[in-house]
Formats: sequence, C-alpha cells, structure tokens
Amino acid sequence: MIKLLANALFMSTPLILGACGEVVAERTGMMVTAVEGIFLFGAWGGFVGAYFTKSLLLGFLAAIACGVLVALLYAVTTIHMQQNQVVMGTAVNILMTGICEFFYRVIFGTPLEPLTVKPLPVLPVPLLADIPVLGTILFRQNLITYLTWILVPAVLFLLYKTSLGLTLRSTGENPEAVDVAGIRVNRVRLLAVLFAGILGGIAGAYYSIGDIGMYTTSIISGRGWIAFAICFLGNWNPLLALGAGVVFGTSDAVGVYVKSLGSGFFPSELFTALPYILTILLTVVRRRFNAPAKLGTAYVKEH
Amino acid sequence: MDQPVIEMLHITKKFSKVVANDDVSLSIGKGEVVALLGENGAGKSTIMKILYGLYRADEGVIRVDGVPCRIGSSRDAIRLGISMIQQNFSLVPAHTVTENIILGNCRGLIDYRRKEREIAALAETYGFDVPAGELVRNLTVGAQQKVEILKALYLNARVLIMDEPTAVLTPQETDRLMEFVRQYVQKGNSVVFITHKMREVMDVSTRIVIMRGGRICGAVKKEDADETALSRMMIGHSLEHLTKPAGGAEEKPVGFSVRNLSIRRKSEPPLLEDISFDIHKGEIIGFAGVSGNGQQELCEAICGARPVTDGSVVLDGRDITHLSIRRHIESGIGYVVSDRLRYGMVMNLSIAENLLLKESYGPKWRKHGLLDRKRLNRYAEEVIRRYSVKAPDPSVPGWSLSGGNQQKIVVAREVEAGKKMILFDQPTRGLDLGAIHYVHKTILEEKAKGKCILLVSTELSEIFTLSDRIVVLYRGKIAGIYKPSEVDAGKIGLLMSGYRNGEEKR
Repeated sequence: MIKLLANALFMSTPLILGACGEVVAERTGMMVTAVEGIFLFGAWGGFVGAYFTKSLLLGFLAAIACGVLVALLYAVTTIHMQQNQVVMGTAVNILMTGICEFFYRVIFGTPLEPLTVKPLPVLPVPLLADIPVLGTILFRQNLITYLTWILVPAVLFLLYKTSLGLTLRSTGENPEAVDVAGIRVNRVRLLAVLFAGILGGIAGAYYSIGDIGMYTTSIISGRGWIAFAICFLGNWNPLLALGAGVVFGTSDAVGVYVKSLGSGFFPSELFTALPYILTILLTVVRRRFNAPAKLGTAYVKEH
Repeated sequence: MDQPVIEMLHITKKFSKVVANDDVSLSIGKGEVVALLGENGAGKSTIMKILYGLYRADEGVIRVDGVPCRIGSSRDAIRLGISMIQQNFSLVPAHTVTENIILGNCRGLIDYRRKEREIAALAETYGFDVPAGELVRNLTVGAQQKVEILKALYLNARVLIMDEPTAVLTPQETDRLMEFVRQYVQKGNSVVFITHKMREVMDVSTRIVIMRGGRICGAVKKEDADETALSRMMIGHSLEHLTKPAGGAEEKPVGFSVRNLSIRRKSEPPLLEDISFDIHKGEIIGFAGVSGNGQQELCEAICGARPVTDGSVVLDGRDITHLSIRRHIESGIGYVVSDRLRYGMVMNLSIAENLLLKESYGPKWRKHGLLDRKRLNRYAEEVIRRYSVKAPDPSVPGWSLSGGNQQKIVVAREVEAGKKMILFDQPTRGLDLGAIHYVHKTILEEKAKGKCILLVSTELSEIFTLSDRIVVLYRGKIAGIYKPSEVDAGKIGLLMSGYRNGEEKR
C-alpha cells in the first residue's frame, strides 16, 4: 500500500509538470495542443541524449531542447501564422510520432535487445525520509519530483503576485488590453508556449530516462493529453492541477500495480484505461468553468 | 500662440489599398478640448490610434512639445503622456479594477493591497466612486469607463484621447464626464474627443475639427460653430429634414398589446417583470433605457425567441405568446436585431441570400422545388436600388458591405417580413449620419402604412424624434410611459438611471 502511494506520486510528477506548463500557456490564450508531441519528442531526446552521453543531466537538457523545438514549431505556426490551434497541434503530434520512430531507427537500427540507460535514482531526503510511512511516500522520490513540488507554488506565486503573472493572465482574457498597455501580445504568448515546451520536454523524458530507462514508440501513449486535461480539470490553477495530477498519477500507478499482480480478478487492461476513463468522467461532471476568455484564438492586429 | 503639446503633420495611413488618413495635420494645445467630428470611416479613430502608437503612419511627423518623436507602440505614447480610451473598452472583465489599472505599469512583485489603496485614493481625488477591489465585469458601463479614465490618470497622462466616450452613457453620466473633462483641462491637460454627436461637442470643446473621407475638411472655434454647417461639412451635403406626421395614432385601433409579461429565472432577478403596453396601428413606441435593462429580452419575447414565464402577447386580436419563432414570422412580425453581426446576417452569404433568410422554407422563392435564383436576384437588385445600398450586385457577400449598407439589407428584409408589426432594436447603432437618416425615413414610412412599430434606442434624441409615446425600461420594469410633449430628456435620463417618478437627483 505504501509502495503504491509512493508510486502514485512518482507517476504524477510528469503529469503535473506538463499541466503546469499548459496552465501558464493557456492563461495567455494558447492551447498547447501539441503537448503530446512535446512529451514524445522529450522522451525521445532525453533517451538519445542520455544514451550517448551516459549522463542523465545531459539527457534532460536534450529533452528540454527537443520540447522547446516542438513548442517553437507550434508557436510560430499558431501565433505568427495564425493557424488554428487544434488543427496545428494535431498535425504536430502526428509529425512527431513519425519523426521519433524514424530517427530512432536511423540511429539505433533494430536492436535485438532493448537499449537501456540507468534511470533516475531515488534520492532520499536526509532525516525526513526516515519518518515512518510518510517519509517513504513523500521523501523517497527522485530529484525531478521534488523540483516539481517546488515548481507548483512557484508558478502560483508567479501568476498571482507578480506583474509578469498579471500580464500572462490578462493576455488570455483580453489581449487588446495588453496591447493597449504597450505590451507585445505575441511575444508574451511565444514565451509562455516555450515555457510549456521546457516543462513538457522534461515530463516526456521522465517516462523514458526517469522511469524505465528505455524508449519505446508507445511510451507516452496519451499522457500528454492527460496533462492537457489536468490543466482544464484544475481550472487553470497550478495548485488544483497538482491535485488532479495526483489523482491521475494514482490511477496510473494502480494500473501498473494490478498488472504486476498478474492475472487477477480484474483485467489489467481496465486499469491501464483508467486514466482515460477518468478524464472523460471528470470533464463531464465538473461544474465550474474558469476558462480564459480568449483561449484558442489568435490575436490579429491591423497595421 | 503657445507651443502646442501635440503636432501631427502630414500624416498618411493606408490599409492595403484603402487610404484611411490622407495628409492629415492636426495640433492640440495645452488646456484644449479638441472635438474630432466625423462620420464612421472618416479616419478619426485611425489618426488618434497613430498618435497612441497602435498604428504606424506611412508618412508624416509627430511632434510632442515641439520635438519630433517616433511613437512605435503604446508604451512610447504613454511615456510621452498620451493615453487613449478605446471605444470598446480594453478592460479585462475577469480581473479587478486595480489589476486592470496597473497592467503593464508595474514591475516584479505586486503588493495588491497597497496598489488598491493608491487607486482608491486616486479615484477619490476625482470624485469617482469606483471600488478598487471589485471585478470589472460587475461594474456598470459608466463605471467601466471611469476605470479607463483612472488608468490614464494613473499613468499621469496629459493628453487624453476618448473614442466615442458618451455612446454608452446615460445623460447624467455624460454630464459628470463633461464635468471631469473641464476639471482635467483646467490643470493644463488636453483632451481629444472622437465623436459623431454634435450636441455634446458644442458643450465642452474649445475647438472642433471635422474629418471626412480621411481628410480634415474644416476646423472651427466653438464660438463660430453652428450645427447645420458642421453637419454639412461632416457628410458633404445637407440632409433633407425629417418631419414626423402629427399624432392621431391613438385614435386608431390597438394593433398589438402586451399584458403582464414577465420573464423570470431561478434565483436571479427577473429579466422582465409585469410589462404591459399597447401599440396602436401606425404608432411608434420608443423604448428608452440604458442597454441591458431588458430591451433585448422584451424584443426576443415578442418574437418568440425567448420563452415567457407569465403574461401574454397579442397581435391583431390573436394570442401569439407561445407560438414558435416561425409562426411568429408568419404572423407578420419583423425584427431588426441590435447585433446584426451576430443575429442579423450571415456574413458569408450574398446579399440576395441574406434577403431570403427568413423565408427560406416558404414557397415564395421556390420553383419546381428549387430556389428561383433569377427571381431572387431581381428582387435583391430592386432592394439595392430602392434603399440605395452601395453594392455592385446581389451576389456580393455580406461582409463586403459597410455597416450602414448591411443594416439597410436587414431593414429591407424585416420591413418585408413585418406586415403588421416591426421591432427595431437599436437600428442606428454604429451607423453614420446618412444611413441613420435612411433608417429613420424607413421607420416613418412604415408607420404611415399603419404598422405597429416598437423602437428600442439608447439615443434619446432618436427616441424623441420618432416616437409617439416613450416608455422607459429600468431593470426589466416599466418606469413610466409618456408622450414626448410631457417630458424632457433630463427626466427620461433620471428614470433611466433608476430614480423613481418625482424623486430628484440626490
């Protein structure tokens, strides 16, 4: 049970990371529908980087670069070329599936044994890790998880206590107001999307080099979309997104747990599907919508 | 003469091929109130947006305090002490007053409590009752405008540009705005009003600049201005005078009546409460009121577009309260909606198709089960001629027309559909003088045919010019029904802002 909870938090980390980036971007009116592609390319880049350099740090840096690259492609087409965000995101996601598969083959061929790197180690926090039960659940995690927990309040603080946060929030609600105040709307949006690219890249790599230490084409399989859903479900608030992220992480962990039990009473496929079922259920039942007013619309200005 | 604060010299601005400003030169002096008068599309807003850095001029120079300046963005303009209040406010409704005011004008950490106090104090100095911590979406339009003004004051603006500031205000709010303007320019600041209403211009401005077709076509000191001359300069020719046929409508039979109409919603204030009135055949009833007080809901209820909780609507002796929209149309009601972009037209359809919208299911335009395009086009051509719509032919799409011409199409369709009754909900909103004149003429013509006419307008002058009786709506209730001869604009204004009968301004 304790193991399960610890694993739940472990599994929620990338979802929260991705959702945090999504929250910041969507607050400026940018639906980063390319998040699935960002995750995937991050997972790919992280693995390739870590495999060749034998360094997880460099692996994650490569993942960030990959995430930013995809985000940049998405941002330029949607912000500057004013393409539809949903259509563009879908196109980018499909493109990334192909690119990752292709270049994995180009680089590694078809290895007989799966290629592996050593995944992210558990980093017990001194003293705190020795607290019974809680210590095992909370403080025997990896570095990225700890950083994520710091990131959430940091993003919350950024959004609600700083001038940058006010700008971000206003951009999603009424870009004209931001423009009139002498701030460049499209630059704000670009930076927000790139931020989502950074976090999404890390989140993707978390699945490859953080968790299992290898890369497969189905490694993300919709996790990016779940981060996307968490942003909605968390009402565009990082703290609520953290909560929603833990719920999804738990269902992910339960899936893994049931699978490890072997053929039991429940088919394990049901639990693998749980996060997706949960997404649909939670989206349908939830009441309060606080969506940024201009979410998904390009800002066009005459010159 | 003193050094002007702002000099704009030989400004030219083109949008693709359309020349919005053609060699415009304009100066603004210290302590001056300049009224920039002109019809829609005359280039008033464009020239001011150039000054505020929202557009970039293709040619020309801007001098501030005699020094040539490059104004590349609003930030540059703000730094030079220039602020502009857009016609459609640029506020974030979901944010507080304070958040809106400090947007873009603060750095790093924000101490919201301190900022709120600062802004409350600033509001205090100008006697604005705007709660600094309130969400903007909870404020009235008048209060939102004050937030915009506070934004400019917070930036220490010395030149304040206001684009059609009174369009959304009650007469009392307008008075207070003018009071503020006087107070503000006394301190050595300057104001530019962009407007097409002459009356308020005469009131407060020191100089009037008239624009037409992207050029400045006249500038007069207020002392030398007279309204007829101004309007001639604005539109380039004079308008024939409209005469309202004298009364007599109340002797004709009642053609339309509403009894105890209410629309209530769960746990919210009612949209309409206990509305009763009659319209005689050939009578125009004018509904005055600040928009959002139930006018649109009333029109929708009458047309069957909104379910009614209580009461009845009777047209020509027949109860039509609960009929479907289609039956309403068939019973002879035309409805010119206030938001033509959203509800009045399909912009991607052609003029001819837009004209047929309400009868698409009927047999009228059908031939062998298919659309009789030829006949429809002939009809559309006739409408274009009769209403002098500026369009090459009936096949051009709705969006290619100017606002005034779009409205002519809508009016033509509704006048045709409304055999017995026509509702005009703010029929002249956003139109220029020529088009307004046309709409007014049409309304009077339809009245003369004996149709019942319901006119909703936020422009009191329009209500007074056309109506046989005036109804004031306030928060979904009738605050009074009057003949135009019994009341003046001041009294209607008070009723519009919620003062009850006989109660005076506090």
